Amino acid sequence: MRKMRRRSLAAVLGLGLALAASGCGQGSGGSAANGSGSSSGGDKQFTVAFVPKLQGIPYFEAMNTGGAAACKAIGCKWLYQGPVAADPAAQADIVRSYIQQKVDALIVAPNDPDSMAPLLQQAKDAGIKVATSDTDAPNSVREVFVEQASTEGIGQALTDALLTAMGGKGKYAIVSCGQTAQNLNSWIDVQKSYTAEKYPDAEIVDIVYAGEDQAKATQMATDLMNAHPDLTGLVGECTSSAPGVAQAVRDAGKTGKVFTVGLGTPQSMAPYLADGSSSASILWDVENLGYLTAWAGVQLAQGKAFAATNDVSDKITGVTFDDQTKTLLLGPALRITKENAGDYNY
Amino acid sequence: MTTTTTGPGSSPPSTTHEATARGRVLPFPITGQEIVLLAVIVVLWVVLSLATPAFLTAGSIVPLFVATAPVALIGIGMTVVIITGGIDVSVGSMVMVCAVVVAEQMVSSGLPLIAAVLLSVVIGGVLGLMNGVLIAYGRVHAIIITFGTANLFRFLGLQLFGGTTVNGIPDTLDVFGRGGSGRTLGIPHSFLLMLVIAGLAWYYMRHTPGGRHLYAIGGDANAARLAGVKVQRRVMLAYALTGLLTGLAACFVIAQGTATLAPNVGDGMELAAIAAVVIGGTSIMGGRGSVFGTVLGALLVQTVTSGVTQLNWPSQLASLFIGIFILIAVGADLLRQRTRRTA
Repeated sequence: MRKMRRRSLAAVLGLGLALAASGCGQGSGGSAANGSGSSSGGDKQFTVAFVPKLQGIPYFEAMNTGGAAACKAIGCKWLYQGPVAADPAAQADIVRSYIQQKVDALIVAPNDPDSMAPLLQQAKDAGIKVATSDTDAPNSVREVFVEQASTEGIGQALTDALLTAMGGKGKYAIVSCGQTAQNLNSWIDVQKSYTAEKYPDAEIVDIVYAGEDQAKATQMATDLMNAHPDLTGLVGECTSSAPGVAQAVRDAGKTGKVFTVGLGTPQSMAPYLADGSSSASILWDVENLGYLTAWAGVQLAQGKAFAATNDVSDKITGVTFDDQTKTLLLGPALRITKENAGDYNY
Repeated sequence: MTTTTTGPGSSPPSTTHEATARGRVLPFPITGQEIVLLAVIVVLWVVLSLATPAFLTAGSIVPLFVATAPVALIGIGMTVVIITGGIDVSVGSMVMVCAVVVAEQMVSSGLPLIAAVLLSVVIGGVLGLMNGVLIAYGRVHAIIITFGTANLFRFLGLQLFGGTTVNGIPDTLDVFGRGGSGRTLGIPHSFLLMLVIAGLAWYYMRHTPGGRHLYAIGGDANAARLAGVKVQRRVMLAYALTGLLTGLAACFVIAQGTATLAPNVGDGMELAAIAAVVIGGTSIMGGRGSVFGTVLGALLVQTVTSGVTQLNWPSQLASLFIGIFILIAVGADLLRQRTRRTA
């Protein structure tokens, strides 16, 4: 009796684990937003698939909106599916499924650029045009990388926005997110060197890492203000810490004494921009990035080369293409203030 | 354990007899591990206040207490669950579901404070009850059930978020926040509320037959059943209680966050709560532990996290210290068990 119960327990345990594992591995819940193709005059309608780092966060959902809009305008079929967590293995499964489906163009924002490279090779061998967007896989066979804004552009825009508020001098600290996030770290490098070079009276006193956790970012910003009573500036380096540092300043009643800037989405920053606990948010137009991504996919599928500057739509003009690095650059960083925060719905 | 027949209420009036019965049934009000924890926290606070004079100011201590409150609150429920020999790894996802529903209601229909708290607590309670029923009557190990429901709740939460953040959350819940409206006479409301609940839970676990039954279940569920403890009902209620507390904690989490709620809310809170419980000296095998230790454990973890930032040390050192604390706590628990077995 006892033995049997134990065996059935083991069976249930195994089943539970198997279910859980398969549930995680699939990265399920794909919302494929199909652009209603208004393909004109007998042209082949190309299928463009985009695999974000993860789906369900405002950033990539905004890219999805932009990509779907592009396909509606150009006439292509837009597929969008990502893992539910930023998991390279789950992302690889989705990429494989798109290779199976033989899409015309496959664009990825890789979680792990190195492990994505062989898959992109596999896609290319299957006759699919491959590209990266948002995050590059430099050592891969991708034919183009769609970049949101240059590293220098973002690092410098952040520094300028903060130091303008701080009056060109003073001590400030950075609340970053993932410690290994390559893009964040390269922006921080630019901020360090640019501050030293252009604002000799300013100093970065500390850089801390809060993960993607708003409450932790707020707490750390509070701790930083306590540790450095003469601190007059804070940078929130990602979309979760940008409102976090502003909230910390608001809670401490230091609005107007400690200034904050960050990389926050317009909607999340709007209340802080309005009451002055955040001076500005630096980002890029994420929907336009999605639009440009879909457009680039169609260009590749049609076998067209990119010009040095490209006019993609009436809103996205002058997109530069660097032939050396095969990079399409969306444009300069976007500065969001209380005046224009309401213009964006993400 | 024969606590069912010799609970404090049913002891004969003879004073000498009661004293021995008490001495045998109830352990000393504060355990060795709790004294050590308290000492470590005091030493840390003294060292930190010497190292950075700003540490022992209201601007630093109040946010520290506020940040401790939700983890400690969930930890209280988790302590009860772990004492019965179970575990609940779904609390993080529960926070997510409660928080998103409450935040959306506050944005769309301007839900007032009392209603928001009630709604959150009720949702948490229902989710907890679901765990409890499955674990108590399905007789499958708690880690499997709650692992399953954690994924379920997470799916539910993601559906409710619908792929975006909840923006423009009003400041209804700021009474639980770290801002000026979150405290009375310098004492943060969320921390105070957590302490009151911890006090009630401590009394219940220690001085009522119902509480002692929970220890008995964790010690040996079969023996407890034979002694007349309604094992299934008690276990079910332990998970429901954890759900209720998690619902309240979700309100604290909203109050501590920004005006935007992101879908990763609650991520890792189950581990933070379990860490507080384990550091607090509750045996992960069940049968022993206390709510008081858990509150101290949560406070220690937050002190270390804040301290590392305030000392200008690299933030990853906090993980290192917390990891060491957990290992020391588990090691101490194992040593105690070995000495008990060989004694």
